[in-house]
Amino acid sequence: MKYELVAGFETHIELATKTKIFCSCTTEFGGEPNTHCCPVCIGLPGTLPKLNRQVVNYAVKAGLATHCEIAEIAKMDRKNYCYPDLPKAYQISQYDMPLCLNGYVELSNGRKIRLERIHIEEDAGKLIHSHGDTYVDYNRGGVPLIEIVSKPDIRSVDEAKEYVEKLQQVMRYIGISDCKMQEGSMRCDVNISVREAGSEELGTRTEIKNMNSITNIAKAMEYEFERQCDVLESGEKVTQETLRYDDATNSTYPMRSKEDAHDYRYFRDPDLVTINVSREDVAEIKKSLPELPADKCRRYIDELEIPEKDAQLLTKYRNISEYFDEAIKGVKSPKTVSNFIIGQIFSRLETEADKEEFNIKTTPKQLNELVKLLDEGKIRNNLAKSTLEKMLDEGKNATDYISESDMGGLDENALNDLCKQAVEANPKAVEDYKNGKEKAIKAMVGFVMKNSRGRADAALAEQKIKDLIK
Amino acid sequence: MVTREDVENIALLSKLFVPDEELDALTKDMQEIIDFADTINNAVESGDDFDNINNLSNVLREDEVVESLPSREILKNAPEQAEQHFLVRNRE
Repeated sequence: MKYELVAGFETHIELATKTKIFCSCTTEFGGEPNTHCCPVCIGLPGTLPKLNRQVVNYAVKAGLATHCEIAEIAKMDRKNYCYPDLPKAYQISQYDMPLCLNGYVELSNGRKIRLERIHIEEDAGKLIHSHGDTYVDYNRGGVPLIEIVSKPDIRSVDEAKEYVEKLQQVMRYIGISDCKMQEGSMRCDVNISVREAGSEELGTRTEIKNMNSITNIAKAMEYEFERQCDVLESGEKVTQETLRYDDATNSTYPMRSKEDAHDYRYFRDPDLVTINVSREDVAEIKKSLPELPADKCRRYIDELEIPEKDAQLLTKYRNISEYFDEAIKGVKSPKTVSNFIIGQIFSRLETEADKEEFNIKTTPKQLNELVKLLDEGKIRNNLAKSTLEKMLDEGKNATDYISESDMGGLDENALNDLCKQAVEANPKAVEDYKNGKEKAIKAMVGFVMKNSRGRADAALAEQKIKDLIK
Repeated sequence: MVTREDVENIALLSKLFVPDEELDALTKDMQEIIDFADTINNAVESGDDFDNINNLSNVLREDEVVESLPSREILKNAPEQAEQHFLVRNRE
């Protein structure tokens, strides 16, 4: 039988606010244990939580960037469970009135992964288990999170990977989180089931908790898909349970049922008042959003005639696309700028982190000047390329390397002379060319380009050399 | 009916120490509290929003950092601590 994978995601993203969600302690990562704490975030009796305005703003931004409806009225609820990472024995979250509803993330294959909701909540503390004992650090307790809940619309591991990457990309663009999976500021729970291909019914699902890298998400999903298929093939039923993925053995195993006792007894937090989100505020926040990566990508393709693959590379990180936007101002061919970025500049940025940071010595304005010299026909492509290398090394302007005489181009006589020299200096190439070896001409053109320091018009030189040999 | 055992159990869960001689009186008090709360069930539904009886909304703070407490203050009430952490011992 042929099986189909069905998956949905619950994604937790730490918001990049300065302070925690209900108190004014810093959200800074790290720090000595229990030094970013106060009576509110360690849950002492009699303390009063007060909601951080920026958390609401950021969550609304996240909602708008993923095509959600923004609720007019929302409230906070208590989700009760007893575990040492939660000092109050409940987490303040949102149950039936979340801030954002019914959005979607569109994948490159055109499929829309629907989002059920986005709500705000507080993060739990960090537990360190050692020799059976547990050490608790509440620095992270109370750091604001959004939880993005998707519908079970994902049908393959590749779609899952793209979904997570797209979320990461859009949340970074709008500046509400750094979404660093390795530091835990983005974490995913994956709900996964299988069903007969073509069936509309959903199978019994399992949930893999707390995945902290895209590689592990992919591996865990592949493993779990195979496992569930095997269970069904052998005529048995999949048990609904919560699993952990173990990287070392590449397998999933059930969490102890104690941790999985799902009776959260949600009720409204009486300490926190209703949140009214005015339509004016929503309009204001909408205006403040930058152009989103999907829109940017479309614009590069449609208006600037950048190939789709290149447009995706340019829009992957906000720093790159902003650099590009700046560097193409007033140039004739944005494609030339794109080629310099994706070619010469990318070759200097080894890792994805380097590309995201996009810390290079040449400013967009400097690249813009260089490309304009090309546009105006003052310099040739070869000279532009070699000049860019020097610019990237030293951070100087193009005109620091290119003299006025370089920009004068080459007059007809000088070009004729150089072509003659090229023919005289390369008797073997001439011979080869006459014997039908078309490519031999390139050696002579190369000679001209080299000796004119890139100022010659390569196509014109080639024609002249051909005329000379004839 | 609230029993002595209920009160003992609640005290344990709340980490409160209750002397034996106070248990009977507390059991009686607890029963009265629950009876009082039960009167709410008899109230006529008025359509008021009991969840938001003060009619307050949008009590928000600005995102400005205030210094946290020193960790020794934070750990002051910890039943056990080690290396600047709250310590939860394995009871198995």
